[in-house]
Amino acid sequence: MKKLRAVVLDEKMDKVVRELHEEGLIELCDLASKLEDSEWAGLLSPSSPAPYIRDVSALLIKTNRFLDLFDSVKGEEKGGLKELLNPTLPPKEKVNFSSADEVISYGRSLLEEVEGEVKELADRLNHLENKINNLQQLKRYLEYLKDFQVDLEHLKSGPYTYVAVGLIPEDKIAQLKEKLSSITDNLSEVVEGKPVVTTENERKVPVVVVTLKEYRDKVGGELRRSGFERIEISNLKGTPGENLERIEREIRECEKERENILSKLRELAKKWYRKLLVLHELLEIEKERAESYTYYGRTERTYMLEGWVPEKYVDRVKNTIERASEGCGVVEVKEPDEPEEKIPVMLDNPKPVKPFEMLTEMFAPPKYNEIDPTLLIVPGFLIFYGIMLTDAVYGLLLTLIGLFVWKKLGKVSEGARNIGYILTLAGIATVIAGIVTGGYLGDFLKEFLGFDIYKTPFALVNPLGESFYINEVRPLLKLGSISVDNGPIAILLFSILVGILHLFIGLVVGFKENLEKKGFKEAFLNQGIWLLLIIGLALGLVTNIPYIILATVVLVVLLCIVRGYMKGGILDAMLGVMDITGFLGNVLSYARLLALCLATGGLAMAVNIMAKLIGDSVPVIGILLALIVLLIGHTFNFVMNGLGAFIHSLRLHYVEFFGQFYEGGGKKFQPFKARREYTTVN
Amino acid sequence: MVFDNPLLLGAIGAGLAVGIAGFGSGVGAGIAGASGAGVIAEDPSKFGTAIVFQALPQTQGLYGFLVAILILFVFKNAPEWAMVGAGVATGLAGLSAIGQGIASSAGLGAVAEDEKIFGKAMVFSVLPETQAIYGLLVAILLLVGVFGNSLGATTIAALGAGLAVGFAGLSGIGQGITAAGAIGATARDPDAMGKGLVLAVMPETFAIFGLLIAILIMLGIMF
Repeated sequence: MKKLRAVVLDEKMDKVVRELHEEGLIELCDLASKLEDSEWAGLLSPSSPAPYIRDVSALLIKTNRFLDLFDSVKGEEKGGLKELLNPTLPPKEKVNFSSADEVISYGRSLLEEVEGEVKELADRLNHLENKINNLQQLKRYLEYLKDFQVDLEHLKSGPYTYVAVGLIPEDKIAQLKEKLSSITDNLSEVVEGKPVVTTENERKVPVVVVTLKEYRDKVGGELRRSGFERIEISNLKGTPGENLERIEREIRECEKERENILSKLRELAKKWYRKLLVLHELLEIEKERAESYTYYGRTERTYMLEGWVPEKYVDRVKNTIERASEGCGVVEVKEPDEPEEKIPVMLDNPKPVKPFEMLTEMFAPPKYNEIDPTLLIVPGFLIFYGIMLTDAVYGLLLTLIGLFVWKKLGKVSEGARNIGYILTLAGIATVIAGIVTGGYLGDFLKEFLGFDIYKTPFALVNPLGESFYINEVRPLLKLGSISVDNGPIAILLFSILVGILHLFIGLVVGFKENLEKKGFKEAFLNQGIWLLLIIGLALGLVTNIPYIILATVVLVVLLCIVRGYMKGGILDAMLGVMDITGFLGNVLSYARLLALCLATGGLAMAVNIMAKLIGDSVPVIGILLALIVLLIGHTFNFVMNGLGAFIHSLRLHYVEFFGQFYEGGGKKFQPFKARREYTTVN
Repeated sequence: MVFDNPLLLGAIGAGLAVGIAGFGSGVGAGIAGASGAGVIAEDPSKFGTAIVFQALPQTQGLYGFLVAILILFVFKNAPEWAMVGAGVATGLAGLSAIGQGIASSAGLGAVAEDEKIFGKAMVFSVLPETQAIYGLLVAILLLVGVFGNSLGATTIAALGAGLAVGFAGLSGIGQGITAAGAIGATARDPDAMGKGLVLAVMPETFAIFGLLIAILIMLGIMF
């Protein structure tokens, strides 16, 4: 990373900002914090967003409104699932705007045109929807009153009478009648209809209450207290039944008209939707540009900008600024002048490895000047994944899923592209591991076809016993009293050896890193001790002289004690003795390779056994049931162990491997870059 | 031989394996599920995530089931005490699912707030599975007869190996609690991941002690 600083004449600034934004190779630094320093404040004043931001924001709001409208009328798109599984890339529209004002005037005219065609329809739609809502509410009320076969016109208060129509909870009705007759001296009448169940699922009774006008307030108060819900029918004529018919007719008419408008709007959506999306994107980009001005500092006639640029792009960015400013700009490139944790980090790996950066970033991006472990993750991750899933059929399935995610879903999502790529490679590794261990849906071949692959030369090891190559007659090798004569112990041995090798690589990398940065002493104390241990063990095993192993272990324990003493006195020295168990733990942790490898094969076998049992014992439909058991069981096993293999493989890297050399915690490089999905400039 | 038929003791081993591990998985999945129900109440679209996290503590039960099947149908000729030892190892170590449930529940909570943390929460939630894997490992080593005719793997001593790795596997509960805390810390500050992992891996030390002793017993070098 380099720090780039540029001072540009104000009238050229906009062009510079636009070109940098398109190029997307610089991460802008906010100068606001620097301007608090009085020395800087004397030279520069803070800068506010570019003036065109107001127009851009206003247009954005309007664009969003139209997009929302079109979204609401478009409804479900056809072929939703197909589109989901195989998304088509939106065609990119070529745009050529050289200033924000051009975008703004284009946006204005486009929105005006859209508004001209849409506004009347949208207003009418709004009106119709309100009307339908009101009618429907009225319809609901009238349905409650269906039992009263009277002209609704008569259910109004007259010169001497007070009439109230509404709903009352069923359990309050008796009490209400009593109360009303007592407060009105029997001069009131309550007419009940049939109880109804309202939309809120309460049982209520429609009632018409009639009394003299002078009791109006008293009766009204009593009605409120008993939970009376008034129904407004003041401007209706005819019986409820007649009204209902009329309302239903009106609703039908309104809905017909609404459908008509909706289909017109859908036509318009087809015409404008894409253009509006393009405009939306253009406006967003302009907005980002306008807002970037708050990062700069300004003098009377110039702007100053500051940013991080990856070393290999420095010349390009410098050229861009000089070209765009047409000579009215000065660029200065310096070494980073800030503490390391503030310098952003850009991971830069060759294309086949790049998707794996995702795994590094999931832990933490490297610190500035720390090694990028992505390349080191790749082989280990794939090998471990393969060993843990170990089934050729599962592997093939995973490869297919990976390819699908990578090639289809990956078209529109970078995350899917990365994970699809990783899964594809992991699937291939699994197929290889499956062939080596003879796992094809577990022991499917043996269980159902009677073909025992481990008696043939087509499988190297049997994770659950002896194979053609490794058996009691032909042990792989002998380690003291243990003879490596069956699959599990061979895989265990292999796991531990791979683990030691893996740790060794991590230690070597860490040793080198420490040697360069902190010197030999740190490197030796942190990594050298364990390197010594591994080399000593290997030497002892190869030469078959146990004393070498013993001597190394004693030496390493002593060194750990010394290291502990140097770090924090006697107590730490005593704890130092324990360090060797930590290292041993790291090595033994790789034994999970065997355990998970067995778990996949073993569970697959359990599924096969169950299916066979059912198939043999249930007559007629047994075969069908067995097939179902096989399908569900293997899917389940595949998903569970596929997930498990992924995470445990990651864990071995994050905990055991990274523990030797990697810390992470850097800030990711986030360039100032125009995000274009629907548009392109060249 | 204690009984005429070695499978009589083997059945006890199978029962222990599937029974105790099932208990652990049940409790763990219950803890994670409770948290899942809460998350779904807030946002029904998180159902898939909840299912994934709830699946994690269920693997222990699966291992128990696997070992039971292996004992009863596959390694029927294994030494009888090896069968019991294998059952005890897988069963007890399967109790680590309780810890995994606690961690998964925290992981699910964190992911509900911020989807980006999914991968990290997954890594933490899967830590307490190590203990169960060690249990499974010892069970397989016992059943397959990797150590030949060693007294440690064929006599009642095999039960000792199972107890060692099984009870040490309970450290998974502690690990789950640490992992849950570390998930919270990572959710607040993504840079805490590395250090959180170091802390969360500490309780595993004891599982490794257990595994070591189990292997030493099975090797039978003390006889």
